[in-house]
Amino acid sequence: MIASQLRSMWLVFKHLFSRNATVQYPEQKPYLAPRYRGRIVLTRDPNGDERCVACNLCAVACPPDCISLQKTEDEDGRWRPEYFRINFSRCIMCGLCEDACPTYAIQLTPDFEMCEYDRQNMVYEKEDLLISGPGKYHEYSFYNVAGKAIAGKDKGDAENEAEPINVKSLNL
Amino acid sequence: MPTITVDGEQYQVDEDQNLLSACLAQGINLPYFCWHPAMGSVGACRQCAVIEYKDAGDQRGRLVMSCMTPVKDGGIYSVNAENAQEFRGGIIEDLMTNHPHDCPVCEEGGECHLQDMTEMSGHTNRRYRGTKRTHHNQYLGPFINHEMNRCIACYRCTRFYRDYAGGDDLQPLGRNNQVYFGRQQDGILENGFSGNLVEVCPTGVFTDKTFSEHFVRKWDLQTAPSICEHCAVGCNTAPGAREAGNGQDVILRRVVNLYNRDINGYFLCDRGRFGYDYVNSDARIKSVLAARSEQMIGSTAEAGDKVHVEIPPETAVRQLAQQLDAVQKGQRRLLGIGSPRTSLENNFALRSLVTPENFYSGLNGREQELLQLIDSIQRDDRVHSPSTPEIEHADAVLILGEDIDNTAPRIALAVRQAARNRQKTHAQSLNIPLWQDASVRQLRGEHSPIIFAGTELTGLADIASATLFDTPEKVALFADAVSQLIRGADPASLSLTTAERELAVRTADILAAAERPLIISGCASRYGDIIRGAGSIAAALADKSAAPGHLYLACPEANSLGLVQLQEPGHGSLEQLASRLQSNADDKTPISLLIVENDLYRRADHETLETIFSRADEVILLDSLLNDTARRADLIYPAAATAESQGTFINSNGLAQRYYAVYEGLGYIQESWRWLADAARFCTQKSTALAAVASWQHSTDLSDALAGEFSQFAPLATLGPDEDYRIDGLKVARQSHRSSGRTAVRAKARVAEFPPHQDPDAPMTFSMEGIHNAGLTPLQANIWSPGWNSNQSILKFQQGIGGARKGANGGIQLQRQAQRIPAWTIPSHEATTAATSDNQLRMLPLYRLFGSDELSANAAAIASVIDKPFVRLNKEDAAELGLQEGDWLELEVDSARYRLEATLSATQPAGTVGVPCGIPQLASLMPELPGPAALKRVESQATSASGETL
Repeated sequence: MIASQLRSMWLVFKHLFSRNATVQYPEQKPYLAPRYRGRIVLTRDPNGDERCVACNLCAVACPPDCISLQKTEDEDGRWRPEYFRINFSRCIMCGLCEDACPTYAIQLTPDFEMCEYDRQNMVYEKEDLLISGPGKYHEYSFYNVAGKAIAGKDKGDAENEAEPINVKSLNL
Repeated sequence: MPTITVDGEQYQVDEDQNLLSACLAQGINLPYFCWHPAMGSVGACRQCAVIEYKDAGDQRGRLVMSCMTPVKDGGIYSVNAENAQEFRGGIIEDLMTNHPHDCPVCEEGGECHLQDMTEMSGHTNRRYRGTKRTHHNQYLGPFINHEMNRCIACYRCTRFYRDYAGGDDLQPLGRNNQVYFGRQQDGILENGFSGNLVEVCPTGVFTDKTFSEHFVRKWDLQTAPSICEHCAVGCNTAPGAREAGNGQDVILRRVVNLYNRDINGYFLCDRGRFGYDYVNSDARIKSVLAARSEQMIGSTAEAGDKVHVEIPPETAVRQLAQQLDAVQKGQRRLLGIGSPRTSLENNFALRSLVTPENFYSGLNGREQELLQLIDSIQRDDRVHSPSTPEIEHADAVLILGEDIDNTAPRIALAVRQAARNRQKTHAQSLNIPLWQDASVRQLRGEHSPIIFAGTELTGLADIASATLFDTPEKVALFADAVSQLIRGADPASLSLTTAERELAVRTADILAAAERPLIISGCASRYGDIIRGAGSIAAALADKSAAPGHLYLACPEANSLGLVQLQEPGHGSLEQLASRLQSNADDKTPISLLIVENDLYRRADHETLETIFSRADEVILLDSLLNDTARRADLIYPAAATAESQGTFINSNGLAQRYYAVYEGLGYIQESWRWLADAARFCTQKSTALAAVASWQHSTDLSDALAGEFSQFAPLATLGPDEDYRIDGLKVARQSHRSSGRTAVRAKARVAEFPPHQDPDAPMTFSMEGIHNAGLTPLQANIWSPGWNSNQSILKFQQGIGGARKGANGGIQLQRQAQRIPAWTIPSHEATTAATSDNQLRMLPLYRLFGSDELSANAAAIASVIDKPFVRLNKEDAAELGLQEGDWLELEVDSARYRLEATLSATQPAGTVGVPCGIPQLASLMPELPGPAALKRVESQATSASGETL
């Protein structure tokens, strides 16, 4: 009993001489790796078009159900979110939306410092989330891989696609 | 019942089935593509392979395609054997080599049978590195989107479209790996059941274009069981809705089929599937509107039209309450006009509020008489109204005066299956099981007899064995002749032409010889004697065979038959209302006219309406869409559409079916009966009737009251659970268990979450909380099962493949008092032919799948394919008048003029012209059909051009 208390006192005393582990946040910032899972951004493909195709997979993967969006289709045939909203006051930064995203549009960033006096300001829209670059995946463009035709990329133009069949040919 | 062993478990199965459906019926997860429960097997996809063992000692077994294997008593099979799994995995890997991998931008994603089967087969890693075969897409019209690269060549689309629905413009083109499912060239799919391709296609080749306009994934749709409001067949539907999230309110996103074995089975018509969009249309009434009292300086409104402004709902309810108070004091008279397109509850609420003697059906005299005739014929116990499976089993069909393709499309699809019964009997005699689809269809021979007599036959023309195109009077004479012949009359005694007599004799012989004859008729020709004739044929057949004669009588609207139950025969038509107002013209008591969900301009002629509107001091309308009647109304309340409310419809079979609110109507929209009950609550003094109206809180209160007041509605008290019903203490959830975006969808307006709406009418929640198992309750419309995200999962909720749904279907037959068909002899031909003056022709109504129905014509996609107004002439008549296809004609009817383009037809009865019934530009012509009209040739469509009388 006494021995245990003496041991504890000794351990505490010893710490007087060890290096301080406390970081003076926010003046002093810790190093966060580029793949640290903070808040999300929406990236663009190498052409500068929005990568998000409004597939809704992030919304359904989201455990606190804090992502909502609506698909719309542009004249060029691309799917795009009419609105994309995330309620960061509910977000748990789990990164499941990034995992679910089939187009690398959603990427997590090391930014986690979102403090607001008004919770309403924690609701981010697409305009708040879009960045101007491709994020961590420089070359990837969904429509180059997927077979859906859009303006400027017809059937047969995607990766590993053969020329479209002419059904009215001899079909040999 | 044979016993089979699958993976060591023993199962009792149905002997008429193939192994695949037997396994699926037992709940075994076995992947498949080309098999469809309604269309049988063709063995095209090789996905359902299992191992069949010779006997208990056989360790190796052999691979068989389960869909092509009949079940054998004592058979031993394995679904999970390693080589069967490996084979199925290989097949799906091959099917996926050309897949475009565009699931994120595919409308099918999340409810895709291909996704489900790929998962089920365990194909998770793509090894193929070669190039993918590609195809160009086609434009297939405003309903269906085409994305051919997603195809796995299962042939389900063309098997449905061509073999099942009788279309011929969708074909498999090309060969081998390059096979292409499309049309010869871009163009609108012609068949009226093309929408089913969306559900039949196991991949995303055919998707719903209207849904894509406001797309969400299946898991995000809020659903409830509903009844299609676009005709009287009463198909069960599952509309899906979801909040818009961009500041606007909820949008109704789509309608899909909700399996009900006895009515729609697996398929809906295109009007039912794509007509839902009227709910989102610009013509929707969303707030209370009142007519402006001040004079306008300039306005484009016509005389009598009113210009409306929005007013707060409370003010409006108080205004109505004041009028009700005045009525109680005898200072005002209140008249109510009901509607065949709204629920029994709404009609009953109005009837209770205005008292039965002041309640009018909102139908014209002719229409009401026809419906009451149908009602009285169906009450005869010698007559049975057949369900869809019964229609599909008929071995001889006689259709009288009803173009069912356009008035009761789902019934026409059933008749098309009936045409194959001779082939099926042949197959059975050769011991070919009926699920062997390709083998059965190869058998040659004639169709089962389908005989048509009427004005126009559109879709069924290719399978009709005999047709008689003539005026309604002649069709009635023909029907009467057939019934007399069945009763043994001498053919020589009939006053028919030789050709007609021959056909009548043949028809009578066919019907009398048939084991399951079926007569179909209805209101379409608007001629009572045809319906009477159909009734007497059915009675004659019943007397002959001692079993009830099958007679399907098609009503025009979703609740037509329900509405006439509320009326005394011969009372309550719009003409009677007009004459009552006319005769009481001296009575200076102000009159309030309360119209519930009815556009009177489609019902009664101009004169009747002017009498009604000019005598009414206050016209109050409760409706969902702005229409011509709304322009005359002083006060307009926004009424809930079918998908936004709960109620009961009576279909053409006399089946009471309940529909449930899918979502809360936006803005101030609520059920018509709630507006009436609200007004009754604001009254200072309440009579007993008014107190009853004021006391109604739940939709079920009204159906209970209906059950108490009318003996035929007694079953309504037990129809569907009331709002206090719970399963394990829980309500039923409208949203799926994985509904997304709950904490974000409304966050733009307010970050804090709102509680979900409470439903006062049904034991269901507007959230994801509650029961999700569609097998436990008929209340759930979200058909989903683990691993089965597509609509194919319905097989998990059936009592055997193609059986009734688990948890029971909602419909109950009305308890109408049995009575004999009233005695009737057909008036002589001369007496019935209306005398026409020289340049007058007789107009006969023609029906169109798109356009003839009032509500669906307001859906954007349907509106884009409605026929331009036309008038159809007999070719010989036209030649005599010197008219050609495409000439412009002016039709003068009762002082109104319509400019129409002439089309010629060989089958239009001579001396008559066919006019499309109910299409938006000609809606006001509806009450005049059939009737006389003068025809004039004009130079162009422009109304200023002068014309030459023909």
